[in-house]
Amino acid sequence: MKTFRTPNFLGQKALILHRGDENIRRLQRQLDRLGISSTVSWPDYDLKNTTADLVLFDGDNAYDDLFPWTKGLPPVPLIALISSEAPGRLEWMLSQSISAHLVKPVQSSGLFSTLVIAYANFERSKELEQQIGELESRISRRPVIFKALLLVMEHGEVDEEAAYGIIRTAAMNSRVSIEDFCQTVNRQVALSLIEKHLSGKGAAS
Amino acid sequence: MSRKIPVGLLYSTTGAYSLLGQECLDGALLALDEINRSADYDFQLVPQIENPGANINEYQRLTEKMTRVDGCRQIIGTLTSISRKEIIPILEKNDALLWYVAPYEGFECCENVIYTGACPNQHIVPLFEHIIPRFGKNAYLCGTNYVWGWEVNRIARELVQACGGQVTGENYLPFHSRDVERMIETVRETRPNFILNNLIDDSSYALFRAYYSAGKTDSFFHPENCPIVSCNLTECELSRIGHDAAQGHLSISPYFEKIATAENSLFLDELSRKEPKRHSVSAFFINGYATTYYLAKAIKSCGSDDIDAVKQSVLGRKFNTPLGQTEINEKTHHTALPSYIGQINSTGKFDIVSAAAEAKIADPYLVKFDTAAFAKQISGQLDPLSGSHLKVIK
Repeated sequence: MKTFRTPNFLGQKALILHRGDENIRRLQRQLDRLGISSTVSWPDYDLKNTTADLVLFDGDNAYDDLFPWTKGLPPVPLIALISSEAPGRLEWMLSQSISAHLVKPVQSSGLFSTLVIAYANFERSKELEQQIGELESRISRRPVIFKALLLVMEHGEVDEEAAYGIIRTAAMNSRVSIEDFCQTVNRQVALSLIEKHLSGKGAAS
Repeated sequence: MSRKIPVGLLYSTTGAYSLLGQECLDGALLALDEINRSADYDFQLVPQIENPGANINEYQRLTEKMTRVDGCRQIIGTLTSISRKEIIPILEKNDALLWYVAPYEGFECCENVIYTGACPNQHIVPLFEHIIPRFGKNAYLCGTNYVWGWEVNRIARELVQACGGQVTGENYLPFHSRDVERMIETVRETRPNFILNNLIDDSSYALFRAYYSAGKTDSFFHPENCPIVSCNLTECELSRIGHDAAQGHLSISPYFEKIATAENSLFLDELSRKEPKRHSVSAFFINGYATTYYLAKAIKSCGSDDIDAVKQSVLGRKFNTPLGQTEINEKTHHTALPSYIGQINSTGKFDIVSAAAEAKIADPYLVKFDTAAFAKQISGQLDPLSGSHLKVIK
């Protein structure tokens, strides 16, 4: 059974974009209890000159162009502090790719679970983004593989399956991805692959 | 005539865990009696006692009654986390403060609660620091099916696995179930180094009895080979288990009756005069008692039972109690407590086998706890040849 490790936020820095009222003071006390230091920025948001591991913002009053990053691609977990549940506001918050939300008035309970969920969601979406990026790059390099396959099939007079096997073995031996290896395959490389393949077979038989 | 201040006492003294509720209530009532007789306090604390009867649906109603009808701004009460969480919204709405005296699983810091019992860095962590080097790193975990058992066992699993040990089995029982045979069989088959018991009430007593029976034919079940260890077992439950079945097993607590301090001797002497029939004193009793004094001293200093004034007066303050010196932390509202490992003897008391008498600051979210550092510290103490099983030196 895999153990869920106790989440720990010690040393994290939070930026709060919200007017400093009793709500926010309660939020700051609770962040402090979790080992997170926080800064309140209001009314002049100063995002560019602040380093933060986490941004909590006023979901009721935040507006377009507030965040200095590409819309929907926050570099850190983004948490909306919400009292208005007007669908237009929720739509805006969703468009910013928030990782979680916290309902106002802020209470002593709720922050810890919101943070755990926000960090997990943020990590998960980063992982997914990376996986999607890799898959897209592999798909875009499909024609390269196809071209290498044809070269090996033509010069070795082997079928598609055998040609793929030869390329895969060579890629593995060079410790690179099949896509990367295929990019290096030209007529000469194809010929030497066939040669190696045949001599290997000869030695084995 | 002195001013009267109502204080709510909300404990289930019938139904599940009524034994523990009764202990907390008795401790609080003893303190109230002393305070009300004492010339040191120019007010009377009037107990408003309610018994929810372990019915979770009663806690909110009774808290509303205490705060709105009886005028209580201070409530000492609740034993389980479920019941505490149930009344927190009422406390916040009606501006009341809860004094929570039981050990619990942590991960809470409500500003309307003062936590005077132990949380994980004060119970399960020091318990394992003691147990793993002496018995080994493979644990069998069991508990009653609710958040206390789930969370304490989750922390236990994290600690055990960090030390390179194995959880040989993990099983839960519904409240009141005595169906412990499967647990005994799992222990027999998987041979852990110790059992972590987070069962409560009847289920816990049944485990000890069945374990004792198993030990009659298989010495593996003897406590010197594979002890049952607990974070909330105290003197008040030992007669329910039976002294024969309880003997030799271990528990951690901020207080045991046999703690040899001047404060505790004085307290026990006075108690035996006041209540000659009481045959044991538990951490639940003592913490109900000490907590009531925290409240009274706070009211005395600030002259009011207003919750902000009381909080201001109590937070950051040190107290001398029968448990030793304690301090309520300003940031977390939790109490720094000593911790003792006790081994149950043949007379139904705990012999102290390890003492950390200096109060340890509570860390309810385990913010400052590092599992890897814990594992490193433990592995330095494990026998490098066997990897486990240093026997207890008596």
